[in-house]
Amino acid sequence: MLVLFIVFRFVPVVGAVLLSLTDYRLNGRWSFIAGDNYTRLLGDRMSHESLVVTLTYTVIFVPLTVLLSLGTALLLHQVVWRRGFFRGVFFLPYVTSIVLAAVIWKWIYDAEDGLLNGLLGLLSVGPVDFLGRAESVLPSIAVTSAWKGFGYSMLILLAGLQSIPRSYLEAAMIDGAGSWQRFRYVTLPQLRPVLFFVLVIETIQAFQVFDAMYVMTGGGPVRSSYSLVYLLYDSGFKYFDFGYASAIGLVLFAIVLIVSLVQRRLVGRDD
Amino acid sequence: MVNLLDRPKLDRPTDSPRHQQRPVARLTLPTLLTLTAIVTIVPFAAMVLVAFAPASGSTFPDALNPTRMTWQNFANVLSSSDIPRWTVNSLIYSLVSVVFILLFAAMAGYAFAKKRFPGRELMFWAFLATLMVPFQATLIPSYILVSKLDWVDGYWGLIVPTLANSQAVFLMRQFIGQLPDELFEAAEIDGASEWRTFTTIVLPLVRPALATLGIFVFLWHWNDFLWPLVIGQSGQMQTLTVGLATLQTEAVPINQVMAGATITVVPSLLVFGLLQRYLTDSIAMSGLKA
Repeated sequence: MLVLFIVFRFVPVVGAVLLSLTDYRLNGRWSFIAGDNYTRLLGDRMSHESLVVTLTYTVIFVPLTVLLSLGTALLLHQVVWRRGFFRGVFFLPYVTSIVLAAVIWKWIYDAEDGLLNGLLGLLSVGPVDFLGRAESVLPSIAVTSAWKGFGYSMLILLAGLQSIPRSYLEAAMIDGAGSWQRFRYVTLPQLRPVLFFVLVIETIQAFQVFDAMYVMTGGGPVRSSYSLVYLLYDSGFKYFDFGYASAIGLVLFAIVLIVSLVQRRLVGRDD
Repeated sequence: MVNLLDRPKLDRPTDSPRHQQRPVARLTLPTLLTLTAIVTIVPFAAMVLVAFAPASGSTFPDALNPTRMTWQNFANVLSSSDIPRWTVNSLIYSLVSVVFILLFAAMAGYAFAKKRFPGRELMFWAFLATLMVPFQATLIPSYILVSKLDWVDGYWGLIVPTLANSQAVFLMRQFIGQLPDELFEAAEIDGASEWRTFTTIVLPLVRPALATLGIFVFLWHWNDFLWPLVIGQSGQMQTLTVGLATLQTEAVPINQVMAGATITVVPSLLVFGLLQRYLTDSIAMSGLKA
């Protein structure tokens, strides 16, 4: 079993570093090219574009999903009526695959047959080709991913809300704080560490976006939904440029690491 | 205290802001909750309706007319695609992984939590460190490794690399760490062998944790996309999730795609329906993430 972990967990990590310094090809031939893959990555227009796409997607997805999870968690916390049932409903999309979500939402967004354009048609608006336009494709995919995943963060936030001592809120109420003031000055500060955790895992998740784009748009239109992991996938399995693909993977790792370290810094300051 | 109790507001509850809000809040919030829930469910409902709609009626709003339901799309998609084979692949991938990951995680978790051996701390930190590395970063070397073993496009290549699941080991170590040491000392004094201690003391005690972890491992593998996509290159070796993605890139009618989608989601829904409480409680407690 130890062998299994060494071979399939540790070797690939070391392997990724080594591979990224070579021009390893499909036929197994390679030579050491030092940092050439990284210089290429820095100078390549496609990698710049995919980084911009990934960042834009992250900037749209993270606030969207955090607000959605926080909103539903607050609702569930306030309303006792059928809480278990509603919690289950919001969690339901989370147990399905992102591929399934992408397939359903691709149809919903469809310019001709889609549900959304059907509804817009009733209002005499549209049709809007949500996935076919550069300016709407990333928000549309972000909505799909948020729908699929918000139930997880919602549960974490709900647990956080429920662990806030009631006496804090009661004390604030006695001091005459309104519901907004109670939320702003009691609930939110108490929820801060949990909110931060959610923010970080959703950010990391956003940087790894691929499945939804592969299924819904194939990276289009004109690479406007072509993410970093998409570039990694194509470099590896379309152009069989394994060294270059490994370098992209390590850049992704570096980004994820920085996000986690920033989180540790910020949360650590509080403790 | 005296000051607070003297406040007149408390003596007349009808004046407090909370009670003024109540009638409004009583209606608004549940309505908002219900609306959000409906929006959450609509995509699933639409999927099912389109899957059962007659082939000519995929256009909105015909697709949402439940009176003309038919099983035809299911029959068509089952006969024209490899869905039965993909289902078998997905089941093998998910179930075999569950069994071995749980066994390995329980064994390694026990060793890390209760056994003393040289290099234990270092090894455990190495395990933790691999949790930080996103899967995509090691995708290429893992693939090359599997291709060197000549395991591409086969069950070995699909399953074996995913059995080295650090997250599962970490969780079991946390859980077993909470069991009292006296139990294991007693077993040692009674002369129980290592294997006997593991099977008669550790395994029965960690059964609830294993059940929860098992659900997660099943869902991780059933819904997994990138690894099966890369490894299962021929149509015969695709999993249901990958197959669904291929279905909709080919010229398959939307009704049949949705029928296929409905088939893929059934096991997840079964797991969810039967074990929802396990799932939601364990996320709230441990932050387990798919």
